[in-house]
Amino acid sequence: MGIAQKLADNQKQVAISEFFEKNKHFLGFDSLARSLITAVKESVDNSLDACEEARMLPTLKIQINKIDAKKDIIEMKTTDNGPGIPQKSVEKVFGQLLFGSRFHAIRQSRGQQGIGITGVVMYCQLTTGRPTHVRSKIATEPTASVVDIGLDTRKNKATKSNSAREIWEDENGELVEHGLEVTCRMKAKYQKGRQSVWQYLRMTSIVNPHADITFIDPEGEVHHWPRVTERLPRIVESIKPHPRGIHLGQLQRMCNESQDSRMTVFLRGNFSGVSSRSAKELCEASEIGEKTKPKGLKSEQIRSLLEAMQGEKTIAGKPVKLLNPPTNCLSPIEEMLIKKGLSKTIDSRFISTMTRVPSVTNGNPYQVEVGLIFGGSMAADKHVEVLRFANRVPLMYQQGGCLLTKAIEAVNWRQYGLEQAGGKGLPKGPAAILVHLASTNVQFTSEAKEALADNAEVMEEARKAIMEMGRGLKKHLMKKKKMAKTQEKFELINDILPAIAEKSAQILDRPIPDLAGSITKIMSAVISETQTTWNKETKMTDVSVVLFNYTSRARSYTILCTWPEKFGATLDNNEMGGRKEATGVWAWKLATLDPGERITLSYSLGGLEKGDWTETDVFYRGSQEVIGATKMDEKFLDEIRQQEKALKEAGMEIVETRESLLDFEPAEDEPSDAEPTEVVDDEFDQPTVEAPEGQQTLFGGGN
Amino acid sequence: MVKRHSPEETKVAMHGVVAEMYDKMVKGEPPSMTLPVRTKNNIGFDSKLGVYKYGKKRSTRDATSLGSAKQLLRTLHVVEFIEQMIDAGKSSTLREMYYISESWGMGKFGTQNDSNNLAEDLEIVTKCLREDFKLRPEEDGARMIGNLTLRERNRRGEWMRINARDDVGDSGYGLPYNVEEEKIELLEHDIDFIMAIETGGMFDRLVENGFDEDYRCGLLHLKGQPARSTRRIMKRMSEEWDVPIIVFLDGDPWSFRIFASIAYGAIKTAHISEYLATPSASYLGITADDIMAYELPSDELSKKDIEALNAELSDPRFADTWWQDQINMMLDLGLKAEQQSLAKYGLDFVTDTYLPEKLKELGLA
Repeated sequence: MGIAQKLADNQKQVAISEFFEKNKHFLGFDSLARSLITAVKESVDNSLDACEEARMLPTLKIQINKIDAKKDIIEMKTTDNGPGIPQKSVEKVFGQLLFGSRFHAIRQSRGQQGIGITGVVMYCQLTTGRPTHVRSKIATEPTASVVDIGLDTRKNKATKSNSAREIWEDENGELVEHGLEVTCRMKAKYQKGRQSVWQYLRMTSIVNPHADITFIDPEGEVHHWPRVTERLPRIVESIKPHPRGIHLGQLQRMCNESQDSRMTVFLRGNFSGVSSRSAKELCEASEIGEKTKPKGLKSEQIRSLLEAMQGEKTIAGKPVKLLNPPTNCLSPIEEMLIKKGLSKTIDSRFISTMTRVPSVTNGNPYQVEVGLIFGGSMAADKHVEVLRFANRVPLMYQQGGCLLTKAIEAVNWRQYGLEQAGGKGLPKGPAAILVHLASTNVQFTSEAKEALADNAEVMEEARKAIMEMGRGLKKHLMKKKKMAKTQEKFELINDILPAIAEKSAQILDRPIPDLAGSITKIMSAVISETQTTWNKETKMTDVSVVLFNYTSRARSYTILCTWPEKFGATLDNNEMGGRKEATGVWAWKLATLDPGERITLSYSLGGLEKGDWTETDVFYRGSQEVIGATKMDEKFLDEIRQQEKALKEAGMEIVETRESLLDFEPAEDEPSDAEPTEVVDDEFDQPTVEAPEGQQTLFGGGN
Repeated sequence: MVKRHSPEETKVAMHGVVAEMYDKMVKGEPPSMTLPVRTKNNIGFDSKLGVYKYGKKRSTRDATSLGSAKQLLRTLHVVEFIEQMIDAGKSSTLREMYYISESWGMGKFGTQNDSNNLAEDLEIVTKCLREDFKLRPEEDGARMIGNLTLRERNRRGEWMRINARDDVGDSGYGLPYNVEEEKIELLEHDIDFIMAIETGGMFDRLVENGFDEDYRCGLLHLKGQPARSTRRIMKRMSEEWDVPIIVFLDGDPWSFRIFASIAYGAIKTAHISEYLATPSASYLGITADDIMAYELPSDELSKKDIEALNAELSDPRFADTWWQDQINMMLDLGLKAEQQSLAKYGLDFVTDTYLPEKLKELGLA
């Protein structure tokens, strides 16, 4: 339970700001280096949330200056292009804890307990005695409001000074339409490396591919992570609490505040997953009359209701059946965007991603996403880099104690081609592994919110996702190995053999021999070479497949290639025609290839961006093996078609992931990811709390 | 039988190798080169020559893999290079050839070892000698002391008469890398045997103690694993002067191998064993039983030592009973000892007691 929540539950009017002063270590202000990261984090989280709720594409600028190196005084200035905050709300947002609606709403969100930016204001006040300068501009007003916010930590009240209005121009002298700028000074240390502002922003940019982030470090160096997609994260729906995940304090408050006249109405109307039948059963199990007024419940009754909700009190030995909560309250990043986020930040050769179907644990919907990026300039002899995220927020400390790290460690990476001492622990290799948990209720090991607490179900989901991704890596490595072998053969016949012919002829003073026969004998195979390259000029992904017949007989083949049809790509410049075999699989029947002949198949993929599609899988139908391509497994193709058909009948979109589409080996040893989607009974309308309209405060919602 | 080749003969022999590759290509086959297998599994005793030679196992290096194809291309470059040297009347070291290969593009050597091995391959296939190819080793020749006289042709082409006792200092006469007749002639001697010694320290001890004069012998410093020229000069002295070669080494598995290369031929140079090996050479010590009999300070055998001893048990060169006993005894003891451990009993013990006793066993004192 969060500190703030604990306090709220007890309804104690202790000045929270005083509590903060004593417990600042809980809130991420325990060391000078961490304090700076926390300050940046709170500010950036708020900006991203505000933009997201206002459906704006965020452009953020973060600047860190060393004011007094000896005394470790640092100035932080963050600017966003978000909706801004109305003048009258600034004071509340920056000066009062527990302000905001998020605390009550159940959905995926960045800052969960609403202590965020107030904590920064407080920390600045405590360490430098200086207020925080806020400049805010909303679109409907002609000028920006500026104000210095300080804090009276005893009275839990903001102190306001130098309030004014001014014209806000950006560095190009243009009027800023809307946005927020926060400038504050604090005692803190700027560091580089794994736990740094730079790393925090880099990670933030990976999971927020829609954000444009600029960071100016104390040395004046500018780091820029550009926006790689115009797509904003999905609007998340709020959902009502699910009985399985509720706490006593919360239930007490809900009962007390209820205006409902009878229990069944209260249960159906305020919880998710409760049908009228299960409402009746809950009453029965907790021995509360269906017509009882919730407001009048005694505390033993509430306790008994809670036990019924959590399945401890039963009917005929069975817990009350409840429906799963809806999962549309989650906002995964989604595979294509993870891919973009990773590839803009890390130079690599291969990326594999996987978004699992949402699932539920203890009444809380959650969803696991993973990404693996391999090769490029990453160090091969070090542990892989672990990039952990909870609800799009980077986790930077306590890596070892985190569920997400443990899930990576629980996988046998050797079978996927990475080094791992003793088959356990973090693997080594030129790779970075991203794990993202989206959930309405992220359980942390401590208030510092840096490591996820153990949960067997979430762990299993994460492990499955990681294994799926590992299979992608293995396939890539095997393909690379095969390609290297093919490359060697080409080097042999194109470079070395002609040199041998020339040199030996020269020494013996005889004519250079014809090499066709030798080449056929050396290769004695059909070889394909595939290239998938980004064409800067046409902004298309060009694919070419060359097939060489180095055997002594004529051969004929059908070649099949994968392409990202599901992601909206178009197949252009396809002069050889061919036909669609299945979603994302195109086939060409080739003319007979005589010995020593070659044939080139080429086409372009439109509607993609650079880095979206870097590897084409090539399959063949034909009797003689083709080096550099895989024999088509017809059974699998049938399977894809059948799935397609089933989905079309069900009127649904294909949700198959690219990785699993291409996974032709039957996965016997490992769990398949074809999990049935949780079916939510819509018999009763789930009355949901409306998402707050527009943006009134940084914490969303206006009250 | 190993014989020297004239420049023309050498060229013809090398062209044979090139022609094998060329003809294969004309026939529409991958170019190739046929070589004997160069491992201990393919050496056998040649009773006519009294040394170990390569057996019948052949391996074909053909251009079906990138590595082998590159090796063939290198071979062609080496052939071309040697022809150029023969025509220009020059010679080069193997190391120089390694550096010259920098300009051979795809035919460049990966390591110096590559170039050494390739030179040996060519020797084997053409039956020519390294000297015919104008290639010199990098290795140091041995040094000798004793009342023996020889003639060496110096850089200016003049023959110099040298007595290895009277005309040299304490470090002895240094052998050149080429000890063939065109360079060195063995004239006369007044010794009963040659003692070949593994370590410099022991060689200097015997020199200081005047062992060569007291026991009428020539002392020769092997410098560890003896170079080709060192083995060749021992062979020549043994044949031309008919003096016994007595080998005095450390008592460990590696010394056993040194002796085998002197007496029976080395695996790597089995193609010219009859030219380098001295089958009549005798092993004086340190033997495994010396370690016990003289209670020598010793070290425990390392893992590698034990592996080496076990490998020797199945090496055809150590197949006789005496060697099998020695190897097994060392394995049982689990110990090895250095020559210089004899100093336990004083500096003169080796010359006053140990060597006389051991020579008596061999019937030489």
